[in-house]
Amino acid sequence: MKRMTKVTTAIAMALPLALVMSGCSGSTETPGGGDDNTLTVWAWDPTFNIYALQEAEKIYQADHPDFKLDIVETPWDDLQTKLTTLAQSQETSELPDIFLMQNNAFQKNVINYPDLFTDFSDSDVDFSTFPEAVADYSTVDDVNYGLPFDSGTAIQALRTDVLAEAGYTVADFTDITWDDFVTKAKDVLATTGKPLLSGQAGSSDMIMMMLQSAGASLFDGDGKPTIADNDALLAAINTYIELVDDGIFVEVNSWDEYIGTFVNGSVAGTIQGVWIVGSIQTAADQAGNWAITDLPKLDGVSGATNYSANGGSSWAVSSNANAELAQDFLASTFAGSTELYDTILPKSGAVANWSPAGDSDVYSQPSEFFGGQAIFADVVAFGADVPSNNTGAYYYEARDAVSAAITKIIGGADPKDALDEAQSTVEFAMG
Amino acid sequence: MSALTATPKRARRDSDGLRPDRPWLGTDRRHSLTGWGFLLPAAVLIVLVSFVPMIQAFILSLQTGRGTQLDFADPLWYNYQRLFGDEIFKQTVGNTFIYLIIQVPIMLILAMVLANLLNNPNLRFKAFWRTAIFLPCAVSLVSYSLVFRTMFANDGFVNDFLAAFGAEPVNWLGEADTARFVLILGLLWRWTGFNMIFFLAGLQNIDRSTIEAARMDGANALQTFWRVTVPQLRPIILLTAIMSTNGTLQLFDESWALTRGGPAYASMSMSHYLYEVSFQRNPNFGYGAALAYVILVLVAVLAFIQLRVGDKRD
Repeated sequence: MKRMTKVTTAIAMALPLALVMSGCSGSTETPGGGDDNTLTVWAWDPTFNIYALQEAEKIYQADHPDFKLDIVETPWDDLQTKLTTLAQSQETSELPDIFLMQNNAFQKNVINYPDLFTDFSDSDVDFSTFPEAVADYSTVDDVNYGLPFDSGTAIQALRTDVLAEAGYTVADFTDITWDDFVTKAKDVLATTGKPLLSGQAGSSDMIMMMLQSAGASLFDGDGKPTIADNDALLAAINTYIELVDDGIFVEVNSWDEYIGTFVNGSVAGTIQGVWIVGSIQTAADQAGNWAITDLPKLDGVSGATNYSANGGSSWAVSSNANAELAQDFLASTFAGSTELYDTILPKSGAVANWSPAGDSDVYSQPSEFFGGQAIFADVVAFGADVPSNNTGAYYYEARDAVSAAITKIIGGADPKDALDEAQSTVEFAMG
Repeated sequence: MSALTATPKRARRDSDGLRPDRPWLGTDRRHSLTGWGFLLPAAVLIVLVSFVPMIQAFILSLQTGRGTQLDFADPLWYNYQRLFGDEIFKQTVGNTFIYLIIQVPIMLILAMVLANLLNNPNLRFKAFWRTAIFLPCAVSLVSYSLVFRTMFANDGFVNDFLAAFGAEPVNWLGEADTARFVLILGLLWRWTGFNMIFFLAGLQNIDRSTIEAARMDGANALQTFWRVTVPQLRPIILLTAIMSTNGTLQLFDESWALTRGGPAYASMSMSHYLYEVSFQRNPNFGYGAALAYVILVLVAVLAFIQLRVGDKRD
């Protein structure tokens, strides 16, 4: 009996230890640079980016039958945190071969953590086939670190049936100025009771799009913040306040609420990157009643245009990658295959930045949801005219500071004072 | 010499002070060394896992630079100097202290009152009440924060409820004061039960005869509670106060998941700002470490004050 108790006790002590040890086995992710014919990719959004990767894999496999793509779904926030952690702890051996990165975050990551990247100088990619404004996001000191993927070209999407009730068409909202827009939108609101725009409170998306449409940025060419004495920014903020005060722009508190406003029809339009098309199309009962056009331009600001961008991302090759294979894969698919872009466009709405893709017939096919308009051809045409903007490493700090300033201005603060405060916050963050 | 006047034989000690007539590894010393032997692995582990990183963090707080390009700052205390000029940091300190000063006292008093009510021997369904009040503590911080966020959204449950009574919907998470109010409400809901359990345990140790004596002397329920029960709960009050202060000063999950720092940093806590500086903005880990040390100092100072005031043990 005594021996049995001893044995039982011994097992009881050893068992948890064994379980813990097995739990501490190696990581479940496969870092890059492994098998010669497999590439690991980190990307987000299964219906958009990951879907595009799967199609690209099939196309590349036509010429390289042994090729495999190992896609790990990683939301952007997590991906950014992972990159920071790996770079900071100098564990670059855990990086995948390729990862997707928001265009706005490129400068920050390349400048702070150059050890994460392999640049594209040795690759076959012809960067002149991409619009300069987009390739600039991932270019640092004239070296390309990213291959542009989806376009964040901004569109104005409107409910044609609501406009018709007030006696307007989409043409009345094309190539106009913001003053004009406010007048017409107030009319629509008075007649139909529906505002034309919505967005997250405290988010600077709308203002950033207005700013970029005038070719202005939050930083100058030398990387110094230009928030305080920025006429275009002041004009954008004043326009935004007018929109909110007149009830034309509805502020909500979360992203889901924002999507809900136009999906359930309480708002009759939106201004956002073209990727919003996927969300608009989830409202199946509104099919045939939407159309898209370009943005209104800022009044009284030199260099104002009707085109802008918001978002968009590019592929980066990591420093731990099988660089030759990764760059060849990207060059043959995302920078070399019109077939790929033709396949992914209808289902995901992924508008290419790659110019040859824009010439394809798929782009000129009419979209039923958008009343027969060939929206993608229009978007590619807009994309060519989008002005560049300077992001720099501190872009997110500047955006956050401007968001805080907007919240204060809506709450009644003086715009000039709020912007001066935002400028000093950013200068403080820059050290 | 007689036995009466003889001096007692002193223990002989050699030049090293040891006693040669006793073995070096005697019983006392062996017991002492055995004790140390058992303590050593745990102590080494704590030093390696807790104290060494703390020292490393302090050294990190003396460095500055973005990303991996960290160099010792010039002057060494540059980060600490810098945070005095950081407007957002000052805002977060203010926010955290608002939470501390408003939420902690209300929560502790509520927990005490609830514990006292639940301690009533005549109460029916005691197990149900205790479980119901303690259950919020079992919920994950992120889950309940997200649920509160949805409830207090512009078209959420609370505004619907208000609308049913004809009141105007309130933009809970969009205004500074209401955002902080929602966060405090969340904290109260979550942690009252936790502290109540401590008070319940403390109440078990109070002699019922003291309460009966007070009753016989003519004190009503409130006077009994305030004059007899509370003073005897003093050690528990001190414990829960220090724990709550510690927890509130290090608040993160609610600030992150419930209000996301609130409208323009109005409800952001110090730890949330630390996370933002380290991971979301251009990473400046040296500055983040300095922020962490400031939080440590604040917690230590407040805990010390509370011990001074509250602990009346000799």
